[in-house]
Amino acid sequence: MKKGPTRREFGSGLALAGAMGLGFRPALAQTKEVRVAMIAPLSGPWARQGQLMRMGADMAIEEINQKGGVRALGGAKMVLVVADAGDSTEKAKNAAQRLLAQDPDLVGGTGAWLSSFTLAVTEVTERAQLPMLTLSYSDLITGRGFKYVFQTSPTAGHQAAETLPTALKLAESATGKRPKTVGILMDNTASPTSFAKPLREGGLEKLGLKLVVDQVFTPPLSDATPLIEKVRTARPDFLLLLLSAMPDNKLVLEKLDEFKLSKGRLPLVGNGSPLGTPELKDTIGADLLEGLLFSVADWPFKGDEEIVERFKKRTGEPWMTQDGITAYGDMWILKEAAERAGAADRAKVTEALRALDLTSGPVALSFPGPVRFDENGRRVDVPMIFAQWQNGVPVTVFPPELALARPYWIKEA
Amino acid sequence: MRASVETKRQVWAILAVALVVLGVSLGMQSAYYQLVLTQVLLWAVLSLAWNILSGYSGYFSFGHAVFWGLGAYTVALGVIYLDLPPWLGIPLGGVIGGIAGAVIGYPTFRLRGHYFALAMLAYPLATLYVFQWLGYQEISLPMKRQAPVLYMQFADPRAYVVLALGLLVIALAISLRVENSRFGMALLAIKQNEPAAEAAGIDTWRWKMRAIMLSGALAGMAGGLYAVVLLVVTPESVFGMLVSAQPLILALFGGVGSLWGPVIGAAVLVPLAEGLNGELGDVLPGIQGVVYGVAIIAIILCAPEGVYWRLRDRFTKPRPAGIASAEPAPSMPLSATAPAARLEESGELLVLRDIRISFGGLRALDGIDLIVREGSLHGIIGPNGAGKTTLFNVVNGFLTPDKGRISFGGASLAGLRPNQVCRRGIGRTFQVVRAFPRMSVLENVIVGAFVGARDHVTAERMARTALDRVGLADRAAAIAGGLTTRELRLMELARALAPLPRLLLLDETLAGLGHEDLAGILGVIRQVREEGVTVLIIEHTMQAMVQLVGEFSVLDHGRLIAGGRPEDVVRDRRVIEAYLGRRWMDRVAETAA
Repeated sequence: MKKGPTRREFGSGLALAGAMGLGFRPALAQTKEVRVAMIAPLSGPWARQGQLMRMGADMAIEEINQKGGVRALGGAKMVLVVADAGDSTEKAKNAAQRLLAQDPDLVGGTGAWLSSFTLAVTEVTERAQLPMLTLSYSDLITGRGFKYVFQTSPTAGHQAAETLPTALKLAESATGKRPKTVGILMDNTASPTSFAKPLREGGLEKLGLKLVVDQVFTPPLSDATPLIEKVRTARPDFLLLLLSAMPDNKLVLEKLDEFKLSKGRLPLVGNGSPLGTPELKDTIGADLLEGLLFSVADWPFKGDEEIVERFKKRTGEPWMTQDGITAYGDMWILKEAAERAGAADRAKVTEALRALDLTSGPVALSFPGPVRFDENGRRVDVPMIFAQWQNGVPVTVFPPELALARPYWIKEA
Repeated sequence: MRASVETKRQVWAILAVALVVLGVSLGMQSAYYQLVLTQVLLWAVLSLAWNILSGYSGYFSFGHAVFWGLGAYTVALGVIYLDLPPWLGIPLGGVIGGIAGAVIGYPTFRLRGHYFALAMLAYPLATLYVFQWLGYQEISLPMKRQAPVLYMQFADPRAYVVLALGLLVIALAISLRVENSRFGMALLAIKQNEPAAEAAGIDTWRWKMRAIMLSGALAGMAGGLYAVVLLVVTPESVFGMLVSAQPLILALFGGVGSLWGPVIGAAVLVPLAEGLNGELGDVLPGIQGVVYGVAIIAIILCAPEGVYWRLRDRFTKPRPAGIASAEPAPSMPLSATAPAARLEESGELLVLRDIRISFGGLRALDGIDLIVREGSLHGIIGPNGAGKTTLFNVVNGFLTPDKGRISFGGASLAGLRPNQVCRRGIGRTFQVVRAFPRMSVLENVIVGAFVGARDHVTAERMARTALDRVGLADRAAAIAGGLTTRELRLMELARALAPLPRLLLLDETLAGLGHEDLAGILGVIRQVREEGVTVLIIEHTMQAMVQLVGEFSVLDHGRLIAGGRPEDVVRDRRVIEAYLGRRWMDRVAETAA
């Protein structure tokens, strides 16, 4: 018993040291490398998105190195270091802290898909002055006065503000008529709530739209019938669908079909890349998705065909989504910045990122609009892309200069 | 007095652990290791907080995330909207956690066992939606470049280790203090047998409320610091299922109901999972969850009570029950402590008037009038199902009669809870002995003695005296779980006697005893009565009672059918009928004729 406590302390101390020792890895600091990080959820509910990001990033790294690496650094190879952000903000933050500790030579990175993960990760990278690119939308990410965050997606606020005007333009160009009424069907989770807030607070009026049906529910939905009945009764010119969970999407689309409102008979407009995933097609079926329009920060567009083909061949994916194309583009952005910085150095790479203005090359092919950032790290002059499910594939249909197919607004059965 | 050596040892152990953690922290360069170390400490605090409620009292909470989350949001919203420095925000989080504990405990302690655990599960999940609805889906603590220290935004990650360590030391000190006080003893008694604890005079409701408030306060403070460390707060990350599960898993792994169990759990599992995730996360994503699962399975198989208890059993010599072996009980002459012997019966001590209670259609007690005189040894007999135990339950407050009055020493007992009845001076034993099986005999009796004692020292002295009175002093150190039936009966008797009651309710104390054991216990009961304690005893075997009591009441179908001196009662026709049936009665009549 005398030795009891000491033994225990010693034991737990050892366990602590031992477990941490597992994480120890000597940094491979070599001059001929430009090391970049990807922190993405590779396990947990968002693992699939992280994997898609990784596929895109891997492809870009391979291409960059095949084409001779970073020329300004004597053909230095780019090396991607990957960390799993897991399923919680705590794990995401740990992953960032770990990468920085183990890899002091990192010059930049991308991550971490989910906004709250990105917020936590960038708290770490900001303090370490490591430039981070992100596809997360949250306005907060670039609203904190941080100097080392670069948001390649238009912010949620921007998307919310641009989605409806763009949809109206699309409708007008497709039908010659401007819709007058709108319905909203949404769950009350984070992003739909913040998306719809400015619309209800005068946004719709400004666009000359009348809100004729407004339905909010707490997920998960058990039965969509009462919601869709109200939609059918009000019969808006189009319906804004803001749903974050796949099962809810399925229920709503099935019910719309049952009420003969699907397949373009009632135009459906949504937001966000989850509306264009292969999994959605597998679960819901191409039939029910037909005609669904969604605005998205980034989607393969005219000029990308070759990239998409390579990606499909490499990965066996049926098409490329935002996650893949953005991570692909992020790697090229970091490569361009390193090229311009002329050094594998965080500070110089950050400076180069701030000065970036790319309108051609692989970077410009990965993102709509020119790639340049304002002082907050937000991109400027980004057009809002619309994709539409047509014959089982979501294709970019708007704006016309980027479209791979012509959109249709309404299809009478 | 009790375990003071052990307590000192634990204090040193806490200081030693703190120094080791400080040393480890100073020696580590990597900010990442510091971050993980901080998380180990914070999760250990949450697990200790959980342990104070669930480990000691046995009320398992699946919802401690609610306190953690409220603490985290208090700090985060405080910084964002009120510019409230976390130095104030974290204690405020503790206050809010404590209040939440009271608000949650008040309705939820009406439930027991699995129902309590499941109800607790609901609170963080409901709160999660509330915070979503309030629009706090993602909040981030703003960077305070002007006053980083005021807002706990240190450049040196070791500062967080020190802060978390401070919380851990507080949590350990509180846990230690709880363990070694009547608080801890009350919780342990509740865990092992709540009705017995209540009947022994423990105000179970109050102690449970105190435990959940203390637990909530500690968890709230830890959650507050967690927000400072993580800087981003989302409902899922602080109210989520994983947060609620974490303290439970850590404590189960390390050892539930022990001081060090939660710390061991956190020190092993948190870095292990994180280390594996770091090493293999890009190759085998999700390995963390697998580690947790495997750890739990391994613990269930190898050390079902947790690592701590396993280690303790291994490294400590099996001492006879740890506590009492030190000094023999000061043997006191009985007359010195017992109330002055009053052999002659005097006034009415317990008076029952027209007591009625029914369960559905069954009239368990149907108009009972009973007077127990001070100093008497009064027996109640009746066949099984006559309502004897129900009568006791009505007297000591487990049941409220539908009708009727009960007065004790002239004052009404109406509306009192069992522990309050006990405080008035009515002790009781149970038909099936309700011991606290994992406590020693002495501790079992101390639980009872607390009613009449201001502090632990007095309680222990009273307990030893009571053990002496029943002749169980030499077994004080034995664990109650290993006693014989006779010893258990005596121990329960001692527990009821310890606070020096005026009236003792004995519920079939003689049941299931062999002939020799019976004689011994009868002797003890007589002696107790001779020392001035009024005894009301239930039995269904007539034989033993005839030897023992001075007055009988016979109960049948919820009514008193006869009363008086034993020799008269056994000849009463109604009594014979109740016991042997009408046919027997008829035969007796025939024979007589």
